[in-house]
Order: sequence, then C-alpha cells, then structure tokens
Amino acid sequence: MPRPPSPSIPEKEFLFSSLKQSLRLDGRNPLEMRKPTFTFGPELGWVECALGKTRVIAQVDAKMVKPPPERPLEGIITIHSELSPMASSEYESGRPSDEEVTITRMLDKVLRRSDVVDKESLCVLAGQRVWHLRLTIHCLADAGNMLDCSCLAGVVALRHFRRPEVEVMGDEVTIHHPSERAPVPLSMHHTPYCLTFAYFPDPAILPVLDPSHLEQTLSAGLLSIALNAQRELCVVQKAGGVPLAPDEILRVVGIAVDKAKELDKIVEEGLKADWAGRTVEVR
Amino acid sequence: MISFASFPVSLQNETQDLTRHHPNVEDDIDMDEGFEEGIHRLTSPGEPLTSSQAFMRGHGTYIDREEVISSVAGTIERVNKLISVRAVRSKYNPEVGDLVVGRIMEVQPRRWKVDANSRQDAVLMLSSVNLPGGVQRRKLESDELQMRTFFEEGDLLVAEVQAFFADGAMSLHTRSLRYGKLRNGQLLTVPSALIRRLKSHFLSLPCGVDLILGLNGYIWVSKHVKQSEQEGEEAFDAEAVYSNKNDDIDDATRLAISRVSNIIRVLAAHFIPLTDTLLLDAYEWAVEQEGDVKDLLQADIGDAMIATITARD
Amino acid sequence: MSSRVEILNDGGYRSDGRRQYELRDVNIDLSQQGTADGCCTISHGLTQVLVTVFGPREAKMRSQTLHDRAVINVEMSVLPFSTGERRRRARADRRILELAATIKSTFEPVVQTTLYPRSQIDIFVQVLQQDGGLLHACINATTLALISAGIPMSDFVCAVSGGVHATSPLLDLTMLEENDLPHMTVAVMPRTSKVTLVALETRLHVDRFAEIFSLAGEAGQALHREMRRAVRGRTGRLVGVMETGMKQPIGGEPLERDVVMDDRMDF
Repeated sequence: MPRPPSPSIPEKEFLFSSLKQSLRLDGRNPLEMRKPTFTFGPELGWVECALGKTRVIAQVDAKMVKPPPERPLEGIITIHSELSPMASSEYESGRPSDEEVTITRMLDKVLRRSDVVDKESLCVLAGQRVWHLRLTIHCLADAGNMLDCSCLAGVVALRHFRRPEVEVMGDEVTIHHPSERAPVPLSMHHTPYCLTFAYFPDPAILPVLDPSHLEQTLSAGLLSIALNAQRELCVVQKAGGVPLAPDEILRVVGIAVDKAKELDKIVEEGLKADWAGRTVEVR
Repeated sequence: MISFASFPVSLQNETQDLTRHHPNVEDDIDMDEGFEEGIHRLTSPGEPLTSSQAFMRGHGTYIDREEVISSVAGTIERVNKLISVRAVRSKYNPEVGDLVVGRIMEVQPRRWKVDANSRQDAVLMLSSVNLPGGVQRRKLESDELQMRTFFEEGDLLVAEVQAFFADGAMSLHTRSLRYGKLRNGQLLTVPSALIRRLKSHFLSLPCGVDLILGLNGYIWVSKHVKQSEQEGEEAFDAEAVYSNKNDDIDDATRLAISRVSNIIRVLAAHFIPLTDTLLLDAYEWAVEQEGDVKDLLQADIGDAMIATITARD
Repeated sequence: MSSRVEILNDGGYRSDGRRQYELRDVNIDLSQQGTADGCCTISHGLTQVLVTVFGPREAKMRSQTLHDRAVINVEMSVLPFSTGERRRRARADRRILELAATIKSTFEPVVQTTLYPRSQIDIFVQVLQQDGGLLHACINATTLALISAGIPMSDFVCAVSGGVHATSPLLDLTMLEENDLPHMTVAVMPRTSKVTLVALETRLHVDRFAEIFSLAGEAGQALHREMRRAVRGRTGRLVGVMETGMKQPIGGEPLERDVVMDDRMDF
C-alpha cells in the first residue's frame, strides 16, 4: 500500500512559521472560512457544494416504502457516502480508512441522529406507507476539510429538496406528480452546520477554521463542532489530538456560534436565489 | 509537590493541589520531599518529581515547564543529580553485554531476525556467529546459502547483546562456545524484571539441571552438560553446535527439569526475582514434600512453597 | 421518547439511587492476564471493559511501521452478550470502528511513542457489559492497561460522561439515562487539566454544554485519584513482593507505606 507522500520539511516549516504570524497560505485569516458556493442542479435536492477546491455533490431522493414494524410512525433516512479515489489519491476503495469512518459517522450524527428532518412528518399512512429519504454524498475533490463540505452539502440538499405531494383517502395513497401539484419541502427541525478547527503541535499557533489540505495533514488534532444558528450544539467531536485547556474549547465553541450564524445567512441567501430563479409549473 | 526556593511554584499549580489530593493521599506528597535518602518511592505517570533546574531527567521521566515528571508507574531512583523512574513491569530494555535467550523468527540475507522479548526483533548477523572450520574466517557466499543449516526458523539460541542499531534494535553475537543453539530442555517465559544481573547467567543446579537465565525473561532449563565437553576450544565441533537432535535424557533428569520449571513458574506468578539460592531452597522444599511435580502448580502448594522459602532468610 | 422511569425525582435522586453528581462504583482490577504485557478490567457500575496491551513489540505489518515512533493499533470487540439483547456485531461495524479510532487518536499524543521507533503497541478492547458510558470506560481501562504495561505516558487520561436532565446536570449516565438525555464524554489529563477528548452526539444548548463540560472536567480529577490509587496499590504490592524475595532488599527495609497501600487495594 503506497502511503501518500508526506509534505516536505520546507513546506512544513513554511506553513508553521507563517501560521505563527497568523498568516495562511491562501491569504485567509485564521478564523475565516472559504466562502461556500452552491450550484443547484435542475432537479430539486441536487446540490454541488464547493469550499475552495473541495467539492462535494449531495443528492436526495425519496421513495415510498413500508416502515419497519418497530417504528411504524416514522420515515426512514439513509445516508450513503463514498470516498472514492476520485477525491484524492489518498483514498482507496475497499476497507474504509479511519478518515472515511470518521466522515461517515459524523455525517450520520449531524444529519440523522440530531433529528434534522422531522421523521414523523415523513409518515404517510401509519404502519403502511412512509417516505424513505436517501441522501447520497459524492466527494469529488478533496482540498481539505471534506467533512464540513459534506455536511453542508447534505444539509443544503435536504433544504432544497421537495417531496411530491400525497393525498390519502382511506387506505388509498395517491402521489401527485410534481407537474400536477407543487411538491412540498421537508419539515425540518433545524439546520446544523459543521465547523472544523485544526490545531497544531506548536501551542503558539492559534487554531485555524476550515483547514486546507496541507493544514489538515500537518495538524495535530481536529475539533469538529456541529451546531445550528439557534446556538444548539449537535455534535462536538475532539477525538484525541493535542490536549487543550477547557477555556480554549469553550472559546472555540463561542466562535463557532458566530460562524454558524454567518453560514446560515449564506445558505438562506443561496437557497432563496435559486428558488427565485426556478419556475415551478403547476397546471 | 516539592517547593524549591529557586523554583517558583505557580499559583495555578497550588490551587490544583488543593482540589486534587484526597486527605488520605497527602502522606505521599510529604514523602516526595525526602529525595536525599536512598529509599525508593512509588510514582505514577504525570506526577511531578522535582525541578528540572536542580536535577537531570533519566529514563521514565520527561520535562514540562521546568519540572521533571514521571511517565511510568514504578520506583523513583536517584543517582547524584539524575532522577529516573524504573517501571515495575515493562518490556525488556537491552543493554550491551546482556545475555539473552531468543528464538529465530526469520532468515534474511546475511542475518537472522531473533525474537528476544524486546520492543523489536533482534538481529543476528551471519558475521556474528561461529562457523564450521575455524573460529575466525571470512564469511563466504556458500555460508550465506546454507544459513538455514545453522539456524532455522523456530530454533532457540542463547546469545549476547553486541551493539545497537541506530533505531534501537539490538545486534546479537554467539561468538563464544557457551552461546549458540539450545537443545535438551525447555523454555520458560517470565517478566524480564524478575531476572537480575548476576555474575553468571549459566547456573548448574546440583540436581543435574542447567539453567540459562536470559535477561530478557526467557529461561532455558536443560539437562546438565559436562563442562569438559563444552571446552573443546580448538576442536570447534560445528556438527554438535548446530545439531537439531536432543541427547538421550533419562527419566530422573526429565523429572528434575520439570520440577525446576514449575518452581520458576510459581515464583514468576508471585513476582519474585529469581536467584540461585532461592531456587535451591525451593527445589529442596519440593523434594521434601514428595508430591507430584505437577502439584507444585496448584495454588495452595505454590503459596506454601513461597511462604517457606521467603521465611528462611 | 418518554420513559416510565423518573430520571431525577423530586428528592434529587436518580433512578439507581444516586445523586446528581455521584459517580457509579468504580472497580479496577490490574491483575495479570495470560501473556499480555499490561491489562486492566474496569467496571463503572454495570459497564465492564477489559483491555489488554501487548508491546511495544515487532510490528506485524512491516509496511505500516514508522521510522521515528511506534504505531498504536486498537482492536475493539463488543461481546454479543454485553447488552440486554443478544446480538452479534460485525467487526467492521462503523460504530465500533469509530470507537477504536477515537481510542487510538486519544492515546497517540499521550503515549511517548517516539521512544519506540519501528515498533507496534497493540491495544485490545473487549466490552464485557454495557450499561452506558462505554467510551469513558474504554478510555479509563486503556489508560490503566498501558500504565500496567510500563509504557511511558505523559499523564493519565481520565474520562467521564455527563448529561443534562431539564436544567440539572448529571454525571456518569447509565444506559437508561443515555437513551433519554443529551450526553457527552469528556477526557481530561489531570496534571494540566487539559482536555483531550470531547464527544457530544446529541442536541444540547451551548450554555448547558459549558456547564456539563466543566463539571465533567472536575469529575475526571476525582476519577484520577481512584485510578492513581489502584496503580499505586499494584506498584507497591509488586515492589514489596520483589523485595521480600530478595536476600538484600535494595535501599533498606521495605517501606511501611507500601503495606498501608495494600490495605487500600480492596475498595
């Protein structure tokens, strides 16, 4: 198994010494995110999210299924994510790497376990018919911070998605084609955003938000915080890495709160702009 | 915590101490101040030992913010200004000149890889073994081709640590007639901390059993070989040295070997360091008991043995 | 999901009779198991975890060795009978893989791996019983197992879980409480009181987070005392035995303190 080439020593030292002066190689401030850009596809629930050169496609589709007997009143959400060698030569198909496990689990926690979508609203006919939402996440290019980008893409895709209107008459379920009746948006509890901070071995270097690929490789620990604009934390994950003082963690959580609000604004604007340019035909 | 005059204790540390220590453990902290005496005290990872300005750090410690801090659980040892902590139980740490017993794991070009119970496999170079036809001669290609006739995977051998490689792996040699392949006995594994450095690690017990105490915790218990047979200095008999065949071992010797092995097992289970006198005492006791050899491994008999022999001193 | 059991009743007691900030009984067994270099069985109430450590030893896979430090390898298995419902988990279960990866990255910066280049340290985690607080039990047990293997570490790592019920914080949650409450696990290094691990997986308001977070940090310190006592007890006992076996004990008579520590062993 060829290991990815590690950054060279000059590269490493240059990064560390510039970070020490609070300078980043791409000209950002330490606590500045790359501005996300969204490209919405012709279908509802298809979005390509880009953070700099990191690009992820998320797509949502829904189908009608019979619910499992233990949860007759709830819809089903499944997340499929794949880190193929397409994103970066570091990933390989086959046994999932540690990083892939982290991303998949994190997506699961942020988008599914924190109750983003109201699962009960996905129930059409108790015990008989529920919606099964399938969120597929494709990582196209990895230029660092794949996790945040995937979460963002996933959340935006869910927000963007419209499911067909259904009508229940007794035991009869009619699904209206989008051309007949306007499809309805999903009922969502909240919109969580994931923010990743990278810490470096030298304690003199302050943490950076949204690390680039090089920063991520050379970091000595990541702290991922998923939260919504309502100041509710969904996931805080700091698995090992450099130990931090408790105050430092609380400080970073505080920063994340502000950043989540900014991000929320960008997402809302993006969605609104797309919606305005879209003509939904209802005959 | 120790407060040296030259070493200002930060406020933060002080407040921590107040919350950190339960009243019951306070006596431990007091003990730390008496560094001067030779008695050793216990410590565990993360415990500050002393100031790094007044002392030097040795093994088992590290320095953080001008304090020497323990990194293992064990006893504090001090030699002049050098503070080190010896872990009570750890992997074998080789030193040059140590006698070790090992097992061949792999045959590689011009070298063997030897499992010596250490953090890495040891290396036995082809140039560090005695070869047939004269003790000192150049190693030929033909020797390299027949390395497996000397040592094969799975063979046990006794050797001495010759040197270290840059990454800390040890290099062994068997260039003495006492070293080489092992036959006629059985291997025991004990924690390496239980083998002390002795004058000689080749013990001959009067019951007709030879012991090789490898410092790495591997012990070879075998049938006694007469000293005169070993000292055929001029006539180095490669055939015999690299033979894979056991000699005939009579029943009495077999019994003695198993008895000694079981005694060592019991001592190791009680974490008692091995010494020849202790072994002899135990052997005598075991013979007196007239029990079956295998009974020694029963908990009550083992405890009784330990109680008797440790009380004798 | 509402349960019939009251999480915290009016008298301030929890469903298992504990107070809000009370930890469950901790039982630490550091006795030798088989050929492992270090091992530890820890139980927090009904959660029980066994960790065995092998190494540092020659790396099995040469391609994965690092030239400047040791590789830490964590294998985790959850026994099928560890939960109420018997079920066999695949070894490649994502949740287990994630826990193993978390343990690995928690200990990588703590263990002084640079002392053992080209070696491998194997940590095997076996979950014997689960009743909440799985991650923190695994981390505490791994700390103790590494210490008992004599592997140098910069400090203990002590982990505690915490949750919040309405507005009152709780510590060391049982499975029942974990199912109903937002909860998190915090691991601290007691000497510097720095945090190495934070894992929150359920929705929680930022202000509550800060509250539980600092509380769990304090509880970690309390747990450290318990863990340190167990380590000291074991060290003292082994050193004591080694001295009685020797003709001339090094450095004078065995210390009286060691005997006292023996008594303290059985909590």
